[in-house]
Amino acid sequence: MFLEDCVVLENNKISDSYYLLKLKGEKSISSAKPGQFYMLQCKNESTLLRRPISLHYINKEKQIIEFYYEVKGKGTNEFKNIKPGENINLQGPLGTGFNTDIENKNIVIIGGGMGMAPMKFLTEALSPKNNVTFICGGRNKESMNILDNFNLENIKTIITTDDGSLGIKGNVTIPLLETLKNKNIYKIYTCGPQIMMKHIMNIAKKNNILCEVSLEERMGCGVGACVGCSILTKEGMKKVCKDGPVFDSKIIIND
Amino acid sequence: MNKLNVNFLGINFDNPILTSSGCFGFGLEYKDYFNPNELGGIVLKGLTLEPRTGNIGTRIAETPSGILNCVGLENPGIDVLEKEIIPNLKKQGINTKIIVNINGSTVEQYVEIAKRVNEIKEIDMVELNISCPNVKDGGMAFGANPEVAGKTTREVRKVLNKPLIVKLSPNVTNIVEIAKIVEENGADAISMINTLLGMRIDINKGTPILGNTFGGLSGPAVRPVAVRMVYQVAQNVNIPIVGMGGINSWEDAVEFIMAGATMVSIGTGIFPNPLLPLEVKEGLNNYCIKNNLKNLQDIKGIAFKK
Repeated sequence: MFLEDCVVLENNKISDSYYLLKLKGEKSISSAKPGQFYMLQCKNESTLLRRPISLHYINKEKQIIEFYYEVKGKGTNEFKNIKPGENINLQGPLGTGFNTDIENKNIVIIGGGMGMAPMKFLTEALSPKNNVTFICGGRNKESMNILDNFNLENIKTIITTDDGSLGIKGNVTIPLLETLKNKNIYKIYTCGPQIMMKHIMNIAKKNNILCEVSLEERMGCGVGACVGCSILTKEGMKKVCKDGPVFDSKIIIND
Repeated sequence: MNKLNVNFLGINFDNPILTSSGCFGFGLEYKDYFNPNELGGIVLKGLTLEPRTGNIGTRIAETPSGILNCVGLENPGIDVLEKEIIPNLKKQGINTKIIVNINGSTVEQYVEIAKRVNEIKEIDMVELNISCPNVKDGGMAFGANPEVAGKTTREVRKVLNKPLIVKLSPNVTNIVEIAKIVEENGADAISMINTLLGMRIDINKGTPILGNTFGGLSGPAVRPVAVRMVYQVAQNVNIPIVGMGGINSWEDAVEFIMAGATMVSIGTGIFPNPLLPLEVKEGLNNYCIKNNLKNLQDIKGIAFKK
């Protein structure tokens, strides 16, 4: 875990209220794993807390760190106005991240909406040694603009949109069930809206497939000190910031 | 020469900087950013006899220059403190002062946990929390009622063999009255202030944002209230004060000491700036040098002495 002032290289609108921020990082990128997050500091002092932002991608060679974020409130509104050349202070990498230590398996990765954020790094980490199916869900065609920033060679990519403007009309469970029929899937990785993950966890359970989910919660400190983001799991209280944000779906209470 | 060292309740502290209960976990959460031994002491997360899961639902909400929280004393209980947390702190080389924050739902529970703490020799002091706003039974109810605050302090003092700090709630009409009562009943020091009771409403849903409806407000937003209360209490009691509430810089810490605090404690300010304790320490030291002070304590209470 590090604190580092990073120079902004790019900060561009991708669609609606979704932005892609690219920073030049040094020490804070060295050990980062897919599924981890960083606490980004706001410059306005009345906005007290740092904002937890999921890691989108790291290019270790070029020392570039990417965040795909949604402008939702005061903090992220400030982030969208940061110009290239300016600094932003990062704290991280934080949290557990996805377990990517697997080989020669059929994998399904599912990102929904903002939950696409951690999937660029994850798909790249898993695809060289595994057979990856990547299912992306969003409201409409525009919500898939972020895919232009992905490297999806050798990855079977399936798109679903709520309005049918791109890919399958409907939600991600349609192609997921289809994939499960045709392939022996070892594990599902997912991040997205609660309701989406709830259905995916149910499907994983029914089919006896391993499943890792990345959760979101309001955070104070990001390091396990304030216990503001604790959730009740089957194994007791867990801190989303430190014990997660990625959890084995087996311990998540999903009813 | 160390200009920051201070004798607090008969124990020598390297500097007057503590980290507040609930903001520094169990002492190791920030060790990647700085060595906790740089602190004067650590006040651990509030403890109860039995483990507690805390409140459900949203526990944290930001407000201008502050945060509301309703964690509700989630903690692993005194057994885990004794068997795992304290031994691990020692294993990790933590040798700064350790202060444990104790909580209960009844006077008997406060007494029981105090007895347990007696047996843990690595704990230097106890902070009696009669001011948590986020628990239904106990907590603030103890600190807001002068009689109950006095009784709880007295009963704990009777059994405790370590220095006793009593943490006061700002959610009272007359803080001086409560401070005097806990002093009369054997408190060795007072820490103040705990959080101010507040709430926020989600205007899209028309419901309270926090799972527990109300939460405790902390951060720079409460600082003027805290400074005022320390200033009032310091003139009316003869026991030392740990001042806290929205300290975000060394200048803020100076305000608390000028208001009459002996020690200062950093809470919420560490979340946006994990290096804040070190910055405060350096700033206080430079302040002493610049103002030719032999020791920082030379300015204690000057705001009302002048």
